[in-house]
Amino acid sequence: MRLIDIAKVVRSKNAGPLNLTFDIMFESEEDYARGLASEDLKAPSIASIYGVSENTVIVTPYPAALAIKITIPRQYPAGNPGDRDVYGAQQHIGLLEVKI
Amino acid sequence: MTAVARIRDRFIKTDRNYLKIVGATGQLGYGIPEPAFSTALSHDLDMVGADMGSTDIGPTFLGNGEMATSAEQTERDLQKLIVGSRSKDIPLIIGSAGSAGAKPHLDATLEIVRKVAKNQGLKFRMAIIRADIDPNSVVRAIKDRRVSSLGVLPELTAEETYKCTNIVGQMGTEAFVRALQTEPDIIIAGRACDTGIYAALPQWLGFDPGPVTHMAKIVECASLCCVPGGRDPIMATLQADGFTLESMNPARAATPMSVAAHSLYEQADPHRIIEPEGVAVVDKVKYRAIDERRTWVTGATWEPAKQLSIKLEGAASVGYRAVLLAGSADPRFIAGLDKILHDVKEVVRGLVCSEGEEPDYDLFFRRYGLDAVYNWQNSPDNLPREIFILGECLANTQARAMAVVKSTKQYLLHHGFPGRLSTSGNIAFPFTPPELAAGPAYRFNAYHLMQVDNLESYFPVEVEEVS
Repeated sequence: MRLIDIAKVVRSKNAGPLNLTFDIMFESEEDYARGLASEDLKAPSIASIYGVSENTVIVTPYPAALAIKITIPRQYPAGNPGDRDVYGAQQHIGLLEVKI
Repeated sequence: MTAVARIRDRFIKTDRNYLKIVGATGQLGYGIPEPAFSTALSHDLDMVGADMGSTDIGPTFLGNGEMATSAEQTERDLQKLIVGSRSKDIPLIIGSAGSAGAKPHLDATLEIVRKVAKNQGLKFRMAIIRADIDPNSVVRAIKDRRVSSLGVLPELTAEETYKCTNIVGQMGTEAFVRALQTEPDIIIAGRACDTGIYAALPQWLGFDPGPVTHMAKIVECASLCCVPGGRDPIMATLQADGFTLESMNPARAATPMSVAAHSLYEQADPHRIIEPEGVAVVDKVKYRAIDERRTWVTGATWEPAKQLSIKLEGAASVGYRAVLLAGSADPRFIAGLDKILHDVKEVVRGLVCSEGEEPDYDLFFRRYGLDAVYNWQNSPDNLPREIFILGECLANTQARAMAVVKSTKQYLLHHGFPGRLSTSGNIAFPFTPPELAAGPAYRFNAYHLMQVDNLESYFPVEVEEVS
């Protein structure tokens, strides 16, 4: 299934002006387990989706909220010339089609 | 007796062993919802706090010294907090004054506070904490190899440091505690960790920094930790081993799940809240529902920092920005857009520069409907039926940026391309002028960690009797 169909929340935001952080939250333990098991939500896949190097991707499971957090470096610091999204709130789009 | 002295004495000298703390707003200047704020004031509080700033708003406000919020709404919000807190004689603590918390932001905020006091006939003691960092001290730290990059920015150099129009450091709880020691009614701080606003009073009174920092991290976002999340004030009731959260809007519920989920918000690591003085570790925290709308939180622990450090924020000029607003619904124009924009750029260069001269400006196009928001890896299966083009020019002067954008507008409008049908114009303007001067533009050039031997010398406290 695609995250757009299964996830309760898929969001992105700045974590400071140099990083983007993504939160994927699930409705149920089962869906969360599927997300955790998915290769497509591990660092190599995320690195390829966002064009960053794999060793800069941090994936943190957060069972208390049935959530997976992913943090990556920004291409440009927030609001610097060339940046597309000063708050980083629309960069989750790259995750919506990910299948788990 | 001032508000801080009264609250301290009440805590120390009576059997009241808890603190009621309200986070009024996570971003002062956009409006503080009622009746939630009035409800908060009815609760016999120990303090009310508000955060005024963030780096989310980008480098411009730090660079130009202006507030991101409107002067009018900022004054309305400050007045509500000042009048409300004074009417109950409770401390008011505000951090990251004026959006970015540098001297011009803090001074503008203080002016509004004095104006409100005068208009309302109020007298109070105000503690002021500055957050500007002397560039010379940063340069010394660079030479001592005590400044490190936090990511995509390169290592900070002396040259870049002196380019910053403003440099601030994020003060921690320590600075607010020193301000409390002056026994004020109101504290207005420059750039600050949002947790410091709420953590200082309880830590000063002896509460464990673990749960206190966790509480502070949640209440600084007002009712965002609730379902549905929102901007209404929130109240934390802090006890020795944990805290209860309750939104001041009865339609919002702080549930164990919603509060736990809030640890994810805008944080790189949901398990650790990193502060200048140490780290609150929240991976073993327990969330328990008291009722449908309130949650009890306990279990955060505190690790003091082995090395004190200050997060630096600086912004430098990148000249002036001018923008062009234009749309198109022409399928052939949209299909040929890559080449059209490339060609128009070349044409404009020939018009605004002398022959053989390199352009002294940057001109680029954001193509909404295609790839302006997100850096797509693939072209869309179907082209959109309309697009919006935001032309953006950065140049050394506003006049130069406008000159480039105005020529761009005219030559984009009339650019000939293969298969063109609409020979009277390629783009639609929503209004005229479609070229707008956007003023000085900035970039973050400092967002670095500076190791220090003490925090207090960087964040001086002043006291002013306001009347």
